Amino acid sequence: MPSTQKPPIAGAAIDPPSLRPPIDDAVIERIAPVELRARLEALKANGFAMLLDIGAVDYLEREPRFDVVYHLLKLAPRPASVSEVGTPERMRLLCGINDGEHLRSAMDLWRSADWAEREIFDLFGIVFDGHADLRRIQMPEDWEGYPLRKDYPMRGPAAERSPRPAFANKSNVVAGTPPSGRTLEALQEQVKRARS
Amino acid sequence: MSGTIPPSTPEVVSRSGNTMVLSMGPQHPSTHGVLQVMLEIDGETVVKAEPEIGYLHTGIEKTAEGLFWSQTQTVVERMDYLAPSSNALCYALAVEKLLQITDGIPERAQTIRVLTMELTRIASHCVWLGTHGIDLGAISVFFYCFDLRENILDLQEATGGARMHPNYIRIGGLNGDVPDGFLARLDALIEKFPGRMRELRGLLQANPILQDRTIDVGFLAPEDAIGWGVTGPSLRASGIAYDLRKAYPYTGYETYDFEIPTRTQGDAYARFLVRLDEMEQSMRIVEQARKRLERPGPVMIDDPKIALPPKETIALSMEALIHHFKLISEGFRVPPGDVYQSIESPRGEIGYYVVSNGENRPYRVRTRPPSMYNLQALKGLAPGNLIADLVVMIGSLDPVFGEVDR
Repeated sequence: MPSTQKPPIAGAAIDPPSLRPPIDDAVIERIAPVELRARLEALKANGFAMLLDIGAVDYLEREPRFDVVYHLLKLAPRPASVSEVGTPERMRLLCGINDGEHLRSAMDLWRSADWAEREIFDLFGIVFDGHADLRRIQMPEDWEGYPLRKDYPMRGPAAERSPRPAFANKSNVVAGTPPSGRTLEALQEQVKRARS
Repeated sequence: MSGTIPPSTPEVVSRSGNTMVLSMGPQHPSTHGVLQVMLEIDGETVVKAEPEIGYLHTGIEKTAEGLFWSQTQTVVERMDYLAPSSNALCYALAVEKLLQITDGIPERAQTIRVLTMELTRIASHCVWLGTHGIDLGAISVFFYCFDLRENILDLQEATGGARMHPNYIRIGGLNGDVPDGFLARLDALIEKFPGRMRELRGLLQANPILQDRTIDVGFLAPEDAIGWGVTGPSLRASGIAYDLRKAYPYTGYETYDFEIPTRTQGDAYARFLVRLDEMEQSMRIVEQARKRLERPGPVMIDDPKIALPPKETIALSMEALIHHFKLISEGFRVPPGDVYQSIESPRGEIGYYVVSNGENRPYRVRTRPPSMYNLQALKGLAPGNLIADLVVMIGSLDPVFGEVDR
């Protein structure tokens, strides 16, 4: 089999979804934030009964910066058999949004949007207007920053902000006076005495 | 407004008008991990339940952005630690779609993948059944279940080298063929299984205590289940036969003969029965896959830029050595694009939305965790019920917190 490896495409990091190969996994639509709400309402009325997931991607250098991705599934009201379910239609809505812009919450259309939107707020800092309980879900409530943003460092800001406590350093003798009072000088004195 | 639904918390009238807030968990033994439920209770009746998650958040999605495509495989397995292979397979399928090598996966690899998936499903349901039994006071079931699971973990260890996170399924195929003696042990398991299932059913199915605790408890209407995004056995117990193995077949599931068990009652007992039936259907698939394993064949794609060369060729072939070095030191690149791939994990629809920017590391790996959406339905299930029934509901939704919190 010939290799699938091809040379990288310059600038691909700016907008990868526009370069996607023809993978037939869903009906894909790109939509502006202002039209999103009306489109979601229309889709809900059109039988897209299940909101599978809402994800988000941060394309740091792109304009608009974020993509909020809605995965929808079209299900009949009560499909009781496998043949009735068939191969339900899948829909993927990509909504580009800039830092600081808000989206309308889809929580009143699909309840499953509740935690999904909270998670995007928590990890990307995208605000959903009209969400009943928008607060952090995965990170602690007093966390600063949004970890899944691309400009958020892999190890988090805590390491730079707060100095390591003395007991965490390799040798607490050098770091300062430990509770036992064994300072570096005292230790050196002890070694000297032992050698003499 | 068309198509709107009422607010997420149903109106439950507190009888006394005198409620208190109680924190259940995160160390409560019946919460199956680290779930905290903030309860507003009136006497013993739950007025409002708000699950608080995130205690097991490990930032796997962020970690994945710093690893090679093949290394990410090892961390995504850590999400659903009761069914690690289902995460691995879903991620591998997503990347294979982006690489456009889905058709190049050898047939034997597909068969072993199906076999692994179904064994994983049985093992995962065994843990669920055992712990659910303990929640309901049936301690001995636990040992029967874990004995069966142990046989499956032994097989997992034989294929991947580890009991819990075998990392057996790789992008492009499998880590290696099944070892000598594997088929004999699999045959022994196939022979043992029906008797063990009879015992488990005999212990629980007609047990009046279990029926008392589960029938009509945690009723989930089909509309609510769809609205909450519930998938998997919990959805099928509400009468909706949505199973990705039939709806969007992958790795050749369309060539196997099996049924999708459904129930219409939608209560905890129905979810219990659906999972038991599922274990038997899984064993049917295992038996069919076992027959196909008689034919030998390759288990990894024939593409040296993706598949590691066989170990024995590295010392003999310069090319193999170079490929090995390049794959280990800088990995392979994946063409830019995005893809959504989902499979039927023991808990429901597990989905991966993977974005590549053409580099050797994933740009973004978003998981649709079935446990998280299933657990969310607890907010709708719990109000109006007793605290003791809440334990049954959590158990019957079968959440895994590695996956809920990621």
